[in-house]
Amino acid sequence: MQNNPYQSLIDALIDGDRDKAYQSASELLKSGIPKERIVVEGIHKAMEMLDGKCTAEQFNLLELMLTGRAVSTVIDLLYKGDQSGVASRETIVLAALEGDIHDLGKSIVKTVLMGKGYRTVDCGKDVTIEKIVETAKKEGAKAICISGLISSVMPQIKRLKPSLEEAGCGDIAVLAGGAALKQATAEVLNVDYVGITAFDAGKYIDTLLGYSHDQS
Amino acid sequence: MTSLERISATVRFERTDRVPVIAQIGAHSAIFAKKKLIDYVRDGELAAYSQITALEHYGYDAVFAIFDSCVETEAAGSTIEYREDIYPAVIKYILNPDSDVEKHKLPDPHQDGRMPEILKCVRILRQEVGDKTLVVGTVIGPMTVLTQLMGMERALYMAIDDPKRFVKFFDYACQLVRRFGLAQLEAGAHLILTFDPAASQTVIPPQFYREFVLPRHRELFKTFKEGGAIANWVHSAGRIDDIMPYYQETNVDIVNFDYEVDPLSAIANTGHICLDGNIKPLSFIFDTPEIIRQESLKLMGIFKERGGFILSSGCEIPPESKPENIEAMVNAARETL
Ligand code: B12
Repeated sequence: MQNNPYQSLIDALIDGDRDKAYQSASELLKSGIPKERIVVEGIHKAMEMLDGKCTAEQFNLLELMLTGRAVSTVIDLLYKGDQSGVASRETIVLAALEGDIHDLGKSIVKTVLMGKGYRTVDCGKDVTIEKIVETAKKEGAKAICISGLISSVMPQIKRLKPSLEEAGCGDIAVLAGGAALKQATAEVLNVDYVGITAFDAGKYIDTLLGYSHDQS
Repeated sequence: MTSLERISATVRFERTDRVPVIAQIGAHSAIFAKKKLIDYVRDGELAAYSQITALEHYGYDAVFAIFDSCVETEAAGSTIEYREDIYPAVIKYILNPDSDVEKHKLPDPHQDGRMPEILKCVRILRQEVGDKTLVVGTVIGPMTVLTQLMGMERALYMAIDDPKRFVKFFDYACQLVRRFGLAQLEAGAHLILTFDPAASQTVIPPQFYREFVLPRHRELFKTFKEGGAIANWVHSAGRIDDIMPYYQETNVDIVNFDYEVDPLSAIANTGHICLDGNIKPLSFIFDTPEIIRQESLKLMGIFKERGGFILSSGCEIPPESKPENIEAMVNAARETL
């Protein structure tokens, strides 16, 4: 373990120390290690370790935000911000619905999914169902994660699956989460899954798409 | 007993005729009074009228002068977007990490943004209910105001990257809140509810609360008491289990606990402080009156021996809630007569 060349990058990411993460990743690059290895052995490993650390009760938003920021810094360094090089897995669309401007939770879900190697397309906040369906179809998404923190978005989310079916992409899975939606059941919301934490989204999608999530 | 007497006695852990009950209602009152949300949040007179209409119908123990979480930041210069049926949101923050915050003008509650409308609402409410019902003035707490002045992520990153600078920004938010709260007390509010959801564990770690927020909450509550508040009431939605022990050091009198907090944990962590909570807000939309009644009875049972309890929702009762569910909570408290 001590000789793991990626350890200092992993530690820096988990500590959310972006300067140190940047420096460690630069050194790895300089020593000739391919970008893909840095992503898999560094970023993915760090995210797996965080996953194990965070439960619904033991959850520190600030830590995750800092890790998210450090991960973005490293990805910027490696790919100049172009995610496509990092993403080896399927596409997942994220959004907060019309009238909902909360987006911290959505960013965390995105960080977790990116960390696992999924390609994420973030529609942003305050987004209409129509826009989400259009994006999911265009991007060939396998799943859509809806983050909902205010109760007024509930009637909207119920329309998502029917709208997807109408658009001929009823096979896309719909996940819901966030402070308001997590209080309801999947049946009430007419979705495939309701998760409590961002890691639940990752686990559900892993299982759905046939990745085992216990590889660490 | 009048509502005000009932609440005051409960805060002191004295006996009352029945358990006090407060439905945390904002724009629901407007919908109930057949008004539009967009008008409710901009017109103090209409808001007061809506609150009184709802009070007369439901018969709970407090009325609120409350609009939304953008009043403070709008008055300080942020740009807000209003929508028909949903609460407004900030579309342009007035501060950024490079702002010279020490020179930034503090809003005048009598002039800026919608603050004067809130003051008008307080005045009318107090005129209407006098000392019979508790008139609750509301401020968004300093941590949340700061996130509304510059954006949540920027505020939190600043706290980590440059704590000294963060403190300057935070102190600006504190001054703003202090002024606004004092003006509401002057206008006739019996007490101020400090609504600080960004100071909950959902957002910040407990050490962060202890280091940055606790001393400022303590100072704020002291100022409000000196300004005539009969008590202080703190409300951080979401999880607060590990923050609650610190509330004792702020000298707060009433602590709201959300549905995510176990009542027994709230009791264990707050010592001799009055608690209010914690029916799940969404229950008021989706569940039946019987479920709300059962939940209410269960809660009152838990607090029977201890006292110091106000039956309430864990957070704001959503605007689109079913009236019969709110009635069920109020009636449950009456069963204890
Ligand atoms: C921060 C915050 C804000 C910030 C948002 C800043 C931002 N950029 O996001 C500001 C101050 C702007 C804000 C505004 C408002 N807010 Co607000 N806000 C909060 C607060 C304090 C924290 C939310 C948060 O970011 N949590 C941290 C994140 C990480 O948690 P999260 O989103 O739940 O995500 C986690 C999980 O849920 C999960 N997850 C998230 N999405 C998904 C998706 C999937 C698929 C899965 C599986 C998992 C998952 O992953 C995350 C990590 O595990 C909560 C109160 C609280 N304590 O929860 C209120 C809260 C959500 N807000 C609330 C309200 C009412 C409002 C306002 C309407 C206030 C008002 N009256 O004006 C406005 C909304 C305006 C609008 N049009 O949307 C209510 C919602 C009540 C309701 N049921 O409707 C809450 C609960 C507080 C309250 N009770 O009043 N708010």
